[in-house]
Amino acid sequence: MRVEYINPFVEAAYNVLTEVLATEVKRGNLFLKSATKPVMGVAAIVGLAGEVEGRVLFDMSKATAMKIASVMNSEELTEIDDLVKATISELANMITAQAVTKLHELGFKFDLTPPALITGENMEISDQEVEALIVPMESPHGNIEINVAVRERS
Amino acid sequence: MSTTTTEAKGLKETDRLKQIDFKMISFTLAGKDYGIDILKVKEIRKAGNFTKVPNTPIFVRGVDNLRGDIIPVIDLRVMFNLPAESKDAASLENIVILRLESLVLGVVVDSIEKVVGISSESIQPPHPIFGDINIQYINGVVENEGRLYIILDVDRIFGTPEAQEAPAERASEPAAPEVAQPAPGEPVVPLDLQFVGETLAAFGQFHLSPLNREWVSERLKEWKADRQAKGLDFQVTQKDEAEEFLNSFPSPYTARIWPAEVADTLAGLLAFDASSVVVWNPGCGRGQESYSVALMLQTRFPGKNYKIWASDNDLLSISTAPSLILDDDELDLSWKDYTVQAKNGLQFNSDLKAKILFEFHDVNHLNPMPEVHLAVIRDVISYLKPSDQEKLVTELTDKVRTGGYLLLGTHERLTHPEWKPVGNDTWSVYQKI
Repeated sequence: MRVEYINPFVEAAYNVLTEVLATEVKRGNLFLKSATKPVMGVAAIVGLAGEVEGRVLFDMSKATAMKIASVMNSEELTEIDDLVKATISELANMITAQAVTKLHELGFKFDLTPPALITGENMEISDQEVEALIVPMESPHGNIEINVAVRERS
Repeated sequence: MSTTTTEAKGLKETDRLKQIDFKMISFTLAGKDYGIDILKVKEIRKAGNFTKVPNTPIFVRGVDNLRGDIIPVIDLRVMFNLPAESKDAASLENIVILRLESLVLGVVVDSIEKVVGISSESIQPPHPIFGDINIQYINGVVENEGRLYIILDVDRIFGTPEAQEAPAERASEPAAPEVAQPAPGEPVVPLDLQFVGETLAAFGQFHLSPLNREWVSERLKEWKADRQAKGLDFQVTQKDEAEEFLNSFPSPYTARIWPAEVADTLAGLLAFDASSVVVWNPGCGRGQESYSVALMLQTRFPGKNYKIWASDNDLLSISTAPSLILDDDELDLSWKDYTVQAKNGLQFNSDLKAKILFEFHDVNHLNPMPEVHLAVIRDVISYLKPSDQEKLVTELTDKVRTGGYLLLGTHERLTHPEWKPVGNDTWSVYQKI
């Protein structure tokens, strides 16, 4: 993944999460991964198109999704209902959009697709050997793994 | 090739060597010395902050993230009921990463010492007197330089039940024969070279292969003479020794911008028909090599359009590449036209930068590249595991167009039917035929 793309995603994730959760968020070590990957329970996917092709995947456990949605909606949510799903999709949208805005300022033109949310047990994402940058974010409400796979159109 | 002839060859080479056919990583547990067969060891590292897993035996420290792979971490001291210093959770522990038949796991030990080469004949069967550790987990004991090492049988300790049930032949049949059995058709690697290769892999992440064997053999001769003059053993046993052994391996002008006359000598070996030249530069580090190639193409092949795909898997290095700060004194005067004075110091101008695309990328993953005219990959392949080395060479052969070039490290040599050497002493250049 192009070096210039890394920081916008990391910064956007940090800024948005700190703001909406109103708490301290920690970033784990970034690393590259190229393998089929299990999904923790709730996954939001935002596609990227334009000069590049790729996608951003936000992965978290159901408990984390519910806690985050509860904080963002200021009410106690205890099951994965439409409100939780809409909230997590919106969170994915906010982070990706902020990253894309930062990239626009640097002169890279990306478009993004509306987020898709997937929930369930024992799921795997397998995009054929695509190398992804993993940005682990740790919050008091649980961990979110942001999985960014972007490549140049060659 | 049978073991006996390989050993016979070793015999001729030096007298000392005839005795050394087993190597182990030595470490301490509660003040005593232990060893593990080096062939079972994947790497050593320091790590801490393991993620605890509930409902596991107390000797399981948790799981650790080894560059994306989750591996279990086991505390050998706890497992063998030995006293362990209690460290606070955040401090780093010494870990030996083992690669067994079916799993990779980390074991926590007190301190990791060095690689010890011994003769398998000198391994003696375990005696019940070494009562700290259950005798069935011990391969044997051996004395070396006044220290007594207990060699652990990691297959039996961590292996699957079937492996444990298999009749284990102890000291009478040490692991040495596995070491020296090259597949039929492969050239025989002399024993001393093989030992040095194993140590370099463990400590220097450098892997002996046909690509660098010529250099390692030459270096070994030089090394032996040098060490003998100093009255030292020629075996490479420690990390700093491995680094010293390898310090003449990197190609000239690594990690710096090539001077103009150096770039000229390389340009003289290359010719491109196409109007647009695509370059692939994996393992570019902080980008000096990529910029040097860009300057060479810019000045010595005027009128050609070019694009460089550069990548590295070290986040810190590659992050600084797009805005590399140049050392004013070291930079060749003729490159001054391509630089600009930025806030933090001298940098290359945006026209030159626009030609290079820096990526955070691991070359072992899928390389989504167009076909290239030139691949610059100096001193990178030698640091990959042998299986990955082969894979990458195949991929390079695939990705470089016919008539295109491959630039390897000065000390790397490629023998392949599709590659014709066209380089010289400084530039290890191959042309695809």
